[in-house]
Amino acid sequence: MKTIGLISANYGSDAFGALLENRTLASLPYGGRYRLIDFALSNMANAGITTVGVIAPVNSGSLIDHIGVGNPWSLGRKKGGLFIMPGSVYGMQRWGSRFLMRDLLKCDKLFLKDDAEYVIMSGSSDVCNMDYEPLIKAHAASGKPITMVYKKVPRGEEFQGYFLEINEYGEVTWINKESYGWSNYFADTFIISRKYMIDFMGWYGSLEYMDMIEIISNNMQTMDIGTYEFKGYLGKIKNPWEFLKVNQAMTDYDIRNEVFCNPERLIYTKAQDEAPVFHYPEADVRNSVISAGCRIEGRVENSVIFRSCHIAKGAVVRNSVIMMHGTIGEGAVLDNVIADKYVTINPGVKIYGGEREPVIIGKDATI
Amino acid sequence: MKKKKCIAMLLAGGQGSRLYDLTTSIAKPAVSFGGKYRIIDFGLSNCVNSGIDTVGILVQYKPLVLNRYVGTGESWDMAVPDGGVHILPPYAGTTGGQWYEGTADAIYHNIDFIDMYDPENVLILSGDHIYKMNYNIMLDEHLNNESDLTVSVIEVPWEEASRFGIMTADENGNIVKFSEKPAEPDSNLASMGIYIFKWETLRKALLEDHENKESSHDFGKDLIPKLLGEGKKLTVYRFSGYWRDVGTVQSYYDSQMDLMDNVENINVFSGDMKVFSNSNVYPPQYLGREANIRNSLICNGCTVYGTVKHSILGSGAVVGYGTVIEDSIVLPNVIIGRNCRINKAIINEGAVVDDNTVIGDPEGKVEVFGKTHLSI
Repeated sequence: MKTIGLISANYGSDAFGALLENRTLASLPYGGRYRLIDFALSNMANAGITTVGVIAPVNSGSLIDHIGVGNPWSLGRKKGGLFIMPGSVYGMQRWGSRFLMRDLLKCDKLFLKDDAEYVIMSGSSDVCNMDYEPLIKAHAASGKPITMVYKKVPRGEEFQGYFLEINEYGEVTWINKESYGWSNYFADTFIISRKYMIDFMGWYGSLEYMDMIEIISNNMQTMDIGTYEFKGYLGKIKNPWEFLKVNQAMTDYDIRNEVFCNPERLIYTKAQDEAPVFHYPEADVRNSVISAGCRIEGRVENSVIFRSCHIAKGAVVRNSVIMMHGTIGEGAVLDNVIADKYVTINPGVKIYGGEREPVIIGKDATI
Repeated sequence: MKKKKCIAMLLAGGQGSRLYDLTTSIAKPAVSFGGKYRIIDFGLSNCVNSGIDTVGILVQYKPLVLNRYVGTGESWDMAVPDGGVHILPPYAGTTGGQWYEGTADAIYHNIDFIDMYDPENVLILSGDHIYKMNYNIMLDEHLNNESDLTVSVIEVPWEEASRFGIMTADENGNIVKFSEKPAEPDSNLASMGIYIFKWETLRKALLEDHENKESSHDFGKDLIPKLLGEGKKLTVYRFSGYWRDVGTVQSYYDSQMDLMDNVENINVFSGDMKVFSNSNVYPPQYLGREANIRNSLICNGCTVYGTVKHSILGSGAVVGYGTVIEDSIVLPNVIIGRNCRINKAIINEGAVVDDNTVIGDPEGKVEVFGKTHLSI
């Protein structure tokens, strides 16, 4: 059951301010050493998928720098491998829509040339370690052209995206854009039979301005869509507060073990090969995630520190995310702060963000 | 193919028996160092940082972990089309096969390999030294002096000189005498086991040495005295900087503690002459609510709930609640349970330490714990 993958990275969000000024959501640094797209790429690699297309946005510099030719995900290869497809452009960035027809039509060669039975399509902004193998098996067994992956969530109102109404046979009967209470939240992942995808593009190619999920939703009565429930952790990030929370989720024992420490399905990323973390005699780190190359002299709590940061003596970093090469000066205090790469906080500076509104410090800033 | 100015041959076949349990199943160059490195990283990184992109690694004793670790050499930026890293084990020919009998013999058996690259010079390295060195500077001196052999030397305290291979040189740096562990040294320039040979000279000497039934086929014992006797031009290259042979448990321990205590000695943190490793895919380290980490080096993939003082935790190590680790080196992927006391210990890769285990003596000598399972 040969399966190929297609990852959509051609979407952003305007909720992140400076964090997404020069990068796409897919290449937002996460968890001390990752970028968000690592999860989709690793899920594909761990299912033995060796042909993956990535629909890249206009501002794809950081994304392409990160994924390169795809070596960490075993995609630098002669047969198959990584295909970066320039996505469509209107304005500088696109919000929301993951599976825009216009982008998919541009990838038609991937569908036409390959001999794979199935294609897994995925967004690139969720934190999850999903085993695609049972999904592929379930899809194959169902005989349906499309199987959509969903996650049961207790409060649909906290999510943006699509919600599935599912009948007793596990078939999608309706797709909503809003939902309250317990909901079947579409996990931005579905599997489709490759030949059906080619037909689909033929039928609906003229609706290139629409999202594929919307087209499915509008034509529900003619579609036969199966479902697959994902029961693992799904870290959704739609604003800076959630970004902070999903980063802090790495300090949760169960989530850390499920997502990051599963020896059967590791999360791969571009290796930077930094030295071990040096905790100085004065260092005091509690309930935090620290990445290689850091030098810690101060206090760190409930935070995620990316590689090669320096937390000076007497500095306190609490409930914060400090991206790579941050320098926190002596006696500085950060609470509920998200600092982008190469940020310098001068000695003694104190910054307090709101609990639901972390302060964002843009790349290269000195404060 | 472009002619190479210099390729490196890295001797990695030794057992390193004085590291005891650490080398029962892996070769010494593959032994973990500084938490995330392996000893061979220093030699390989020096090569790439010196612009040498072709390295033959001579293996013999338990090479499997080493072979896997080195892989294609990509981690050291050496996966290049015209060169790269080559693992060279002993092999068989039409007249049978033979183990490498000595350091020079190992190179002799790979004359064909070196000829494939047809280099002007060959750099001979040991795979078990901890140092940062730009071989290019040494090569420039070697070329300027038009030497047949340049030996890298380091000044050692006079009282220790009798433990080393000592080079006696004239004021121009020409080697006039070599003495292996002399009782009464007349020089304090110790050979670091780093040689640059003119390939033409070395090739001829290896062929002749192979025919010599008396020879032990060793660079220090046989090749250097032979070339000296023939009146070849042998010069010293004076290296000043940090250099350690980590052949004993104490030196292996001390040089790792130096990573923390004397950071400036061999700064693995600086971007200058960066030390590369075959980096793993561990997540960043997690330190629990009650964790207490002071003056320590902690690697990616570690999970720490206990107390760690003046110690090194290798990649993927786990330390349970209530456990206290002091003055110790925990190699990668060691799982340590709750309420353990660990002092002045080196715990081998992948070991599991049961709850409440007490090991090591805070007042005693450093001890290696090589078993895969340690309990009370």
